[in-house]
Amino acid sequence: MPVVEIDPDELRTLASQPEKPEDELIDDLFALGLELEGKTEDGELELEFAPDRLDRLSVEGIARSLRYQLGDDRGAHVPSVNDPDWTIEVDADVPEERPYVTGAVLRDVNLDRDALDSLIQLQEKLHATMGRGRAKGAIGVHDLTMLKGGAAATDDTSEPTKTVQYTGIDRDGDTFVPLEGDAEMTPGEALSSHHMASEYADLVAEYERMPAIYDDLGLFSFPPVINGRRTEVTANSRNLFVEMTGTDQWTIDRMLAILCYAMDARGATIEAVDVEYAEDAGGDYAGSTIQRPDLALDTKTVAHDRVESVIGVDFDPREVLDLLERSGLDARQVEIEGGDVGEDGDVAVGYEVGVPAYRVDVLHPQDLIDDVGRAFGFNELEPSYPDVSTLGGRHERSRHERAVRDTLVGIGFEDMLNFHMTNEAETFERMGLPIPEADSVDGVDLEAGGSVEIEARSGEHANRDVPDDAVGFAPAPTIATAYSEDYTILRTWALPSLLQVLEGNTHREYPQNLAEVGFVAEVDPSEPTSVAESRSVAAVVANHDASYEDARGRLQALASAFDVDLETPATDHPSFLDGRVADVVIDGDVAGVVGEIDPAVLVEHDLEVPVAAFELRRDALE
Amino acid sequence: MELPAAQVAVLNAASANDAQTTDQLAEDTDLAPETVTGAAFALEEAGLVTVEAVEHERVATTAEGETYLEDGLPEVALYRAAIDAGAASDPVSLGEVIGAAGLDGNAVDIALANFARKGYGSIDDGAVSADPDADPDADEEALALSAVADALDATEGEEDDTTVAPDDLDVGADTLDDLERRGLIERSETTDRTVLLTDDGVDALMMGVEEAQTVGQVTPELLTSGDWESAEFAEYSVEADAETPAAGRTHVLRQTVERVKDVLVGMGFSEMEGPHVDADFWINDALFMPQDHPARTHWDRFAMETPSEIDSLPDELVERVERAHREGVGQDGDGYHSPWDEEFAEALALRGHTTSLTARHLAGEAMGDLEPPQRFFSVEKGYRNDTLDATHLLEFFQIEGWVMAEELSARDLMGTFEEFYAQFGITDVQFKPHYNPYTEPSFELFGEHPETGELIEIGNSGIFREEMLEPLGVDCDVMAWGLAGERLAMLVTGAEDIRDIHGTLTDLDFLRNAEVIY
Repeated sequence: MPVVEIDPDELRTLASQPEKPEDELIDDLFALGLELEGKTEDGELELEFAPDRLDRLSVEGIARSLRYQLGDDRGAHVPSVNDPDWTIEVDADVPEERPYVTGAVLRDVNLDRDALDSLIQLQEKLHATMGRGRAKGAIGVHDLTMLKGGAAATDDTSEPTKTVQYTGIDRDGDTFVPLEGDAEMTPGEALSSHHMASEYADLVAEYERMPAIYDDLGLFSFPPVINGRRTEVTANSRNLFVEMTGTDQWTIDRMLAILCYAMDARGATIEAVDVEYAEDAGGDYAGSTIQRPDLALDTKTVAHDRVESVIGVDFDPREVLDLLERSGLDARQVEIEGGDVGEDGDVAVGYEVGVPAYRVDVLHPQDLIDDVGRAFGFNELEPSYPDVSTLGGRHERSRHERAVRDTLVGIGFEDMLNFHMTNEAETFERMGLPIPEADSVDGVDLEAGGSVEIEARSGEHANRDVPDDAVGFAPAPTIATAYSEDYTILRTWALPSLLQVLEGNTHREYPQNLAEVGFVAEVDPSEPTSVAESRSVAAVVANHDASYEDARGRLQALASAFDVDLETPATDHPSFLDGRVADVVIDGDVAGVVGEIDPAVLVEHDLEVPVAAFELRRDALE
Repeated sequence: MELPAAQVAVLNAASANDAQTTDQLAEDTDLAPETVTGAAFALEEAGLVTVEAVEHERVATTAEGETYLEDGLPEVALYRAAIDAGAASDPVSLGEVIGAAGLDGNAVDIALANFARKGYGSIDDGAVSADPDADPDADEEALALSAVADALDATEGEEDDTTVAPDDLDVGADTLDDLERRGLIERSETTDRTVLLTDDGVDALMMGVEEAQTVGQVTPELLTSGDWESAEFAEYSVEADAETPAAGRTHVLRQTVERVKDVLVGMGFSEMEGPHVDADFWINDALFMPQDHPARTHWDRFAMETPSEIDSLPDELVERVERAHREGVGQDGDGYHSPWDEEFAEALALRGHTTSLTARHLAGEAMGDLEPPQRFFSVEKGYRNDTLDATHLLEFFQIEGWVMAEELSARDLMGTFEEFYAQFGITDVQFKPHYNPYTEPSFELFGEHPETGELIEIGNSGIFREEMLEPLGVDCDVMAWGLAGERLAMLVTGAEDIRDIHGTLTDLDFLRNAEVIY
């Protein structure tokens, strides 16, 4: 969740609450959903909030919310925007990955140190959130007085008279002095050697051309990577030129709106910029000119019925209008078509709501109902149990699984609950198995039956002869980007997990008779997800005198409890001792394995007691 | 005089001059030590012997002590490094010395605290001065620690090979106290009981003592023969602890899960099931989670490598979901302005939440179209690509529940969840308005910890957005909530390390001693 740092005095000033004690301020902020995380060394408040209200990423935006909250402001405020003097020309050389640009001019900005810090913080936080780490939208703020606009191609004096160009150049196609640099560099050089630029090298790594913005004097911005030093903003800057480039026009326009509202609160005058997309430019706006920032209210219609049914309270329409205005929205009551018509034939009541451009979280009228609820106070609501009758129940597998588990516990096993994720070493190698691999998975011809050819791929036991149907010896679903190398696959069988528990508890009292009814999975192209998921029943008997009979006897008790026939013909399995291992055959079908764990596997797990074990498919007991 | 067999044996073996321990007597009489102890107490009661308890102090090294036996005491390491750095003549920077001594973490504080105490030198203004005359080889504590360790080595093969008697050590009591204070050794006490014949006991032996014909155990022969009627049954020491049998028991987290399921079934919820490995479409897209949402980046998500994509998705549904993402739903809907790529939707991952099951059910994919009213739940695993520590696991049980009805309000949501949490002793649930991509309004749920009274987060809830429901073909209201089951289990059991509760790193003792949940 985003965290912003704000100076409480600035907040008091901007929210017109000069005398408010800090604890009351913090309570008011909490009611807005801004939680105090801590304080900086300078006494700034670190506030954390959910990532929907991105207009609160600066002290100006938080002050605005507070003013609405405390009733000092109501309804939507739309800053006035002066006619454009500047044009951003977008040509066909712009990298196709980043076709969009927007901008604004901010005049008479009173940038003291605090205001500059706030602007920089807002820029960074917008980059991190809406801008998706500058990939989707990147902001460049420049000192306007350092820009020299080219003359517009037209003589018409009503048109803007100064131009900058958004274009694309070769990696080493031109040079500029980047921020905090003292030498001319090409964009390519900046990416490889400039300490700030190199952080963003990944963003343009795949670009054929580098995004570049020019004025009459040359290259001054290399979005989304770094600005030039020439136009650097300082506390003395009075007029600012803001440009934003990105992969989506809506996103950068909304980022711009948030920034313009913040600067408006600081007393700046906003001046529009024309964005002129050439006929052959990329993106959805080729051939058209758009004027930005667009701070017009967006209109959404909310039905009164819906407000009542979502919040669960009967409202007078005047109350709803009041709550909407207290949320910083414009609202007027309208008759809506297609809404529910009352029994007495009344036309349905609704509200036409004007939503300011900084409200990037409002995607649907339902979001406005949430505003009404918050302004009303959700905590004022009286909970009521819904008058809806349904029959509950568990599904069959869930009931069966519980019955198997209960039976195992009755036989004397301690029930275990292990991770589904593990690694190849635990599942195969430490159990004496080679690592199996599906010959091919994606692209297997399903019509042809989609069976997986297993090959012993690698590992310590690569040359070991293993029957294809050996329990556990199946290709495991693998995870692409595991955080930890201990958890890279889904387990194909559960016995390795139980041996791990035994390994971690050699200092605990024996006997350790452990069982688990748990999830296992293997690659199987005949499944829609190519993963066959099932439940496995695994058990170990670990004690100084544990032997095959201990496992076989308990297995008999289990089979008898579920009224299935059990046979155990001799078999081979590398995890078990030769001559003391058998297939578990339930009602004529092979369903698992039972035997004494091979001493090599025991020693591998640092165990000094014999272990007898079995594992079988849960559904064999159905 | 007639006495039970064990008492006769003990009386015969005991001496009037030479107090013998119960262990010695057990060896002499070939009886179990607890039998001898029981007999001795019975004899004492009869005035034939006296039993005296002698407490013996024992000491053993701690894990920290073991570490220092290997590596040396941290202050000694500090001193040697300081000498090497020339701190005997001029003060040397503390950081440098600590680095050279190879100390980090706690060991630094320990070294500093003891360095000055033992007169190895002093530390002023971040610089170390070392006393050239100090002799780390004669460090009393180090020598004492070694003495304990050597004595322990010498006990190998003895019955008690994990502790030694401090009297056997050539170490001053003060030094042992110091070691204990530092947590390098721990003391324990054992009790030996000695038995001595009283005069009455000697008399009784002279008069002759015979074994009483008492019966130890009720046997089948005794019952069938009818001899039980005339038999005298030996008295057992009924207050003594008996051996605890190895018992089967259900895993404590499983008990919590079962309890949650019982509560939900009782509230009219039916259980869902569905795949753990699923397409991102079902895990995220169908929930109106934008594809460029931070939670969908590779940092949080367990993307699958093999297999990597689902065979097929329902075409029409995919189209509707894509349209909702791009254009929104309804006349005034906006959509996300985010990239949307069907290939990403088809990509397989371990589900980050079990809300994927909810999506499959609402879409009619799991069990056909559902008509309101409905209540569904699951208590199954979700997966998060995160670091593993005392409060975070890569796998967790998510409690997921939802209610479908023609009309549902925030008040219905509050009423339902208050009811649920009350079953676990959590009352006074508070609802804090919150943000979720797929619910509006959304609430974080807070409740009072039943033990500590602390206000803690206990879940997340909301009413599903129309942008989620409409593409799935649902035209009524659905409210839902989720909660990590481990959180509930930790609340209920008081466990502090989640790794004890779930997974292969578990401690069997924790599971064996956990209180039953019902």
